[in-house]
Amino acid sequence: MKILFLGNLNCIVVIMLNIRLIPTILLKDGRMIKTKQFGAYRDVGNPKTVARMYDAQRADELIFLDITATIEGRHTLLDVIRNVAEECFMPLTVGGGITTLDDALEILHNGADKIAVNTAAVNRPEFLTELAEKFGRSTVVASIDYKKNSDGKNEVFTHRGTYPSGLDPVSWAVEVEHHGAGEILLTCIDREGMMVGYDLETLRSVAESVEIPMVAHGGAGTVQDLVDGIVIGKASAVAAASIFHFTDQSVFKAHAHMKEKGLPVRLI
Amino acid sequence: MIKRCSKCVTLETQEIISFDENGVCAICRNIEYKRDKIDWVAREKEFISFVDKYRGKGMYDCIVPFSGGKDSAFTAYALKRKYGLKPLLVSFDHGFYRPCVLANRERTVKKLGVDIVTFKPDWQTVKKTMRVSLERKGAIMWHSHCGIYAYPMQVALHYRTPLIIWGEPDSEYLSYYGYDKSGEVDERRFQQMVNLGINAEDMVGMIEDGSVTLRDLSPYIYPKLKELKELGYRSICLGDYIPWDTRKQSELIRKEIGWEGAPVEGIPYDQYWYEKVEDAFQGIEDYLKWIKRGMSRMTHLASIDIRNGRMTRDEGLKLIEQYEGYRPASLDVFLRAMNMTEEEFNTMALKHVVSPYVPPDLNTVKRGKELPDQKLWTINNDLI
Amino acid sequence: MIVVVDYGLGNLFSVKKALEALGAPVTVSSDPDVVLAAERIILPGVGAFGDGMRNLKERKLIPALCESVLERGIPFFGICLGMQLLAERGTEYGEHNGLGWIGGAVAKVNIADKGLKIPHIGWNQIIFKKEHHIFNGLKPLSDFYFVHSYEFQPSDSQYLLAVSQYGKEITAAVGRKNIVGTQFHPEKSQDNGLKLLENFISWKP
Repeated sequence: MKILFLGNLNCIVVIMLNIRLIPTILLKDGRMIKTKQFGAYRDVGNPKTVARMYDAQRADELIFLDITATIEGRHTLLDVIRNVAEECFMPLTVGGGITTLDDALEILHNGADKIAVNTAAVNRPEFLTELAEKFGRSTVVASIDYKKNSDGKNEVFTHRGTYPSGLDPVSWAVEVEHHGAGEILLTCIDREGMMVGYDLETLRSVAESVEIPMVAHGGAGTVQDLVDGIVIGKASAVAAASIFHFTDQSVFKAHAHMKEKGLPVRLI
Repeated sequence: MIKRCSKCVTLETQEIISFDENGVCAICRNIEYKRDKIDWVAREKEFISFVDKYRGKGMYDCIVPFSGGKDSAFTAYALKRKYGLKPLLVSFDHGFYRPCVLANRERTVKKLGVDIVTFKPDWQTVKKTMRVSLERKGAIMWHSHCGIYAYPMQVALHYRTPLIIWGEPDSEYLSYYGYDKSGEVDERRFQQMVNLGINAEDMVGMIEDGSVTLRDLSPYIYPKLKELKELGYRSICLGDYIPWDTRKQSELIRKEIGWEGAPVEGIPYDQYWYEKVEDAFQGIEDYLKWIKRGMSRMTHLASIDIRNGRMTRDEGLKLIEQYEGYRPASLDVFLRAMNMTEEEFNTMALKHVVSPYVPPDLNTVKRGKELPDQKLWTINNDLI
Repeated sequence: MIVVVDYGLGNLFSVKKALEALGAPVTVSSDPDVVLAAERIILPGVGAFGDGMRNLKERKLIPALCESVLERGIPFFGICLGMQLLAERGTEYGEHNGLGWIGGAVAKVNIADKGLKIPHIGWNQIIFKKEHHIFNGLKPLSDFYFVHSYEFQPSDSQYLLAVSQYGKEITAAVGRKNIVGTQFHPEKSQDNGLKLLENFISWKP
């Protein structure tokens, strides 16, 4: 927030939208896990208590991504979302295996505010349009995962980083916006879980190509990385997980650091 | 070049620190608020009329979380002798009480004439949580932090005693909360500051051999808000209602109930005889802080003294030079208890270094002197 | 009994849970008779203006809402799309008539020249333009969660209760007599949002 004073009694208050710090919660079989480059994973907690902790720390939003691709897994996901939405009154984005309008409806009915689609959008971009028309554009998040392919170029991968799509992340980002996505979650698979910093160059390329907000994801290891994601990467929001589970950083501390560096953030 | 507050000696690597345009840290600025703006007379009146509502109701007037350290001993003393309450002391025994603290506990409860409930959790499980805590957070006392905070709340429910009174407010040490907010010591604080971001339900999955169940971690679970609300609980800090002066208070309890301090690794005994005696592994926690942040307990204590006008900044810097940066002798005991090598310990600790601090090669760090009671610690009993 | 109107749009679950957490008796319903019996009404909603009105019509909710709110003065709270529908008309995907309870129209947030992203997503501070019971206990510049691309511009500024700044002033809250609406989501705005909902529960217009 910036305040400009004109004399003692008058001031112009120029307020900026706060930068969002969004912990991501990766779900597998009812536990929260953390992967490295979408590969090996470790248990990082019970998603319900982790969400409570993040809510208490005043995280700006939560993103839940479910990677259990079974019906059992879907029941568990809905149970987790419902449980979290009952006690935490904060924005929830949920993704993972959403392929039909009914999938999305079910998730929204259980307390989610936004749904994230990934593979289904690549398979059929019109799905994004259908979702936007039914639920509103601001409900639809296009989740884009990318990594360097064998030619050393960034390529969008689906199915949790296993299927190459032949798409370039920047042009795909423009496509998803065109088809109705209200927000982009851009994840660099190469950096995910590695805590080496965000891929600032690609972030910036995408951010400058679209008018919808973009959330940076994959690589944050220090609180300075979070700042860089906004200032250099031009992201509207920064998402992270490893930093909160394998270092003694917390949302609380991260917000304080971001504020110290001059970013507009919520600070309770 | 790492930044240090221009007034005290706290480094920029301190958690949630901010500096103003003069390089003065937020904690120093908060202290100014404390001195100038708070009407302590009114606050104490507020406290008395508040606790009067709980006097004489039920078996106990209040629960007092107690370790036997200076703050909880003073709190027990004040509540019983000055404010005339009937407290139930609740002690979570983290397993590392030193002989002096055990003696203090005996003296305190006997002289004051109070009931006490002590709970000691299963050591085999504690060790497993310590390893996870070190690896994931670069700190070893997850079980202690959670137990000390959560267990008395469980006891409050069990004894149907809604008023829980803690001692020292946090603002003195951290700038999490300003003095203008008297915070309740509730689950939010537990989640924000106490549990290192890890709940018992999370820890159970992090102990990767699957040998620990949620039942084993039940002492670390903060009770459900619903149950606490139904009890009508209030969880407050005495230090939000009376000015907290640790030196004066320690001298008072030394005189009134024979409370005694003991040497602690990394700080001078003469000046700080009352400080942090209740935890044998305090030296290790402080060493971890030094590895991560480049400062330790001496910086912390000197900063407080500087803020309160008891020390100059130069004196503080000299003491830091003299007392910080030693590898504690107690680490030997810890490593033996945990069946861990020093290399493993160092590797885990180094993952949590806070930029821009760069620690030295830990193999070159000088060894600190062994505390006189180290061989008498109860933790040694199963290591022979 | 507070009735949260179910017209097929919006996060009904969260609104319900927020009210329950505040200890208020609440039911979620799409039945006009239930709406008629309500002591307070909340109309949530996320989606397009046209769809919102169509859904209300299909469920025959408009007569019940008008009777309760306009004739009997039942306190009413519209959230996000639920607030936008108060307008006379909306221009999302074509021109549509709204409930017309507060004069004005809903149009796209026009900040194309400012280099800001649309939709407006995130926590933004609100500036109170008028005193109102629902703002009791809230600090000036309290922040709330917004997620929208369209805004309601009331034709008369006396109905503008609060604004937010995003490239320009955008409508954050409107109100007229026993009707109040917020663009932001109080059920997703943690402490501030719960405080605002608590105020609505105790509001005697």
